Amino acid sequence: MNRRVYLDNAATTYVASEVLNEMLPCFNAVYGNSNSLHSFGREASAIVDRARDRIAHAINAGKSNEIYFTSGGTEADNWAIKGIAHAYSNKGKHIITSQIEHHAVLDACKQLEEEGYEVTYLPVDKTGLVNIIELMHSIRKDTTLISIMAVNNEVGTIQNIKAIAKIAHDYGVIFHTDAVQAMGAIRLDVQDMEIDALTLSAHKIYGPKGVGCLYLKNGIRIDNLIVGGSQERAKRGGTLNVPAIAGFGKAVEIATRDIAINQQKLRSIRDYFLHSVNERIDYVHYNGHPQQKVNGIVNLSFEMVDRESVLMLLDMEGVAVSTGSACTSHSVEPSHVLKAMGIEEQLANGSIRFSFSKNLSKSDIDYAVEALEKVVSKLRSISAITKAGRK
Amino acid sequence: MYSEQILERFQNPQYAGGLRGANGVGKIGDEECGDIIKIYILVDEEGIIRSAKFKVYGGVCTIVACDEACKQLINKNLEEALRISNLDILEGMGEIPEQKEYTASLVEEAIKNAVEDYYKKKEKEERKAI
Repeated sequence: MNRRVYLDNAATTYVASEVLNEMLPCFNAVYGNSNSLHSFGREASAIVDRARDRIAHAINAGKSNEIYFTSGGTEADNWAIKGIAHAYSNKGKHIITSQIEHHAVLDACKQLEEEGYEVTYLPVDKTGLVNIIELMHSIRKDTTLISIMAVNNEVGTIQNIKAIAKIAHDYGVIFHTDAVQAMGAIRLDVQDMEIDALTLSAHKIYGPKGVGCLYLKNGIRIDNLIVGGSQERAKRGGTLNVPAIAGFGKAVEIATRDIAINQQKLRSIRDYFLHSVNERIDYVHYNGHPQQKVNGIVNLSFEMVDRESVLMLLDMEGVAVSTGSACTSHSVEPSHVLKAMGIEEQLANGSIRFSFSKNLSKSDIDYAVEALEKVVSKLRSISAITKAGRK
Repeated sequence: MYSEQILERFQNPQYAGGLRGANGVGKIGDEECGDIIKIYILVDEEGIIRSAKFKVYGGVCTIVACDEACKQLINKNLEEALRISNLDILEGMGEIPEQKEYTASLVEEAIKNAVEDYYKKKEKEERKAI
């Protein structure tokens, strides 16, 4: 195999060695069931407690027991949306979210609609920001929950979470945020930001796959997710995945400990990448907010080419990127995020997400941009759309 | 998702690009549906397609479908060209995901449009000659 460069870190990251070292003993040395009363169980339970403490500390939760481990971000989002909506259904059946949420939130809302709930999907501007005034206008007497993601996974735009949470509370509405892409990228402080519920995932921050958590402020009601076990205060039963939880705790600790240095590195990588692309490739458009964005995600549209073709040809050069959302239907399904941002069809069809890790080198970026230039120019040379023919 | 055979052909299509002297062009699709195909044919005086090429804006299967269309067009007369169906294209492409089978129907349309365009151009020329 030739050289490979992985620029799809918003999909998942490798597991950091510090994290792996934390996990390994939990497979065969500390293998007790964390629910057992004997010493084997207590040892495992201590590991889970430590991970819970680390995560609670990282997001400044008031208490560690406000962290509920789940199988990942999708489960935590589903649980937060449906569990809180159900628990407060006697108060009202209206929920507010945005059009650019992850499908874990959007599809959970759609399920609630089928049950008779009403959902307002707030539009965003062309940079991906939710309009706060519009948010205020959509709050009703029967609104029980507002869920707005902290950082968008396709374009990296950072929402004004603190302001949104404050508005929610002014109207007595519970606020949830999907912070899967935010952990390690921006500071998260659930008390200062007035967040009631927050979703995290391990595998976006150099932790293992299959584990995440829901932070839920004490006093906020939620329906139980899985019954049949006393784990997670009996709200989410099931034997805990101790190795994954240990790794998750460590990954969160590192992500917050090293946030400044990591972001500095990612900013340099991102800036160098954008500079190189601008030098070598014409007719490229940047999607997202010019300033209010995370350093690890860049979304670019290449005129006259189709994103699936770009992705597959890049893959053949050993460069892994993402098209943001899967191309499944008859024609290429446009990204719901770019569509909501008002990006024109052809540019949305030519959009590629590049997401970086802290370990990329300058020569990795050189190699990737060179491959990108080659691929885009090859596809443009046979494109049925010419520059002159562009609308 | 895609077989090695499809990917190999996607990476190295034999008939991609413009065609100098083409006397028939078939276009189909628009930016909104996400695929635009142009099939170019060069028809000789006996009505035989001597060369065929394509330009495309689309994904992996759209490119391979175009390549297969051009392959099948070469050395066929116009009547035979009009009989090429999406099923013939699919057979030549090999296994593709079901949701991408529409690409074969698109190129079938593009072929028909190319032949039609050739007839129109020819008629115009003949009228000019009179």
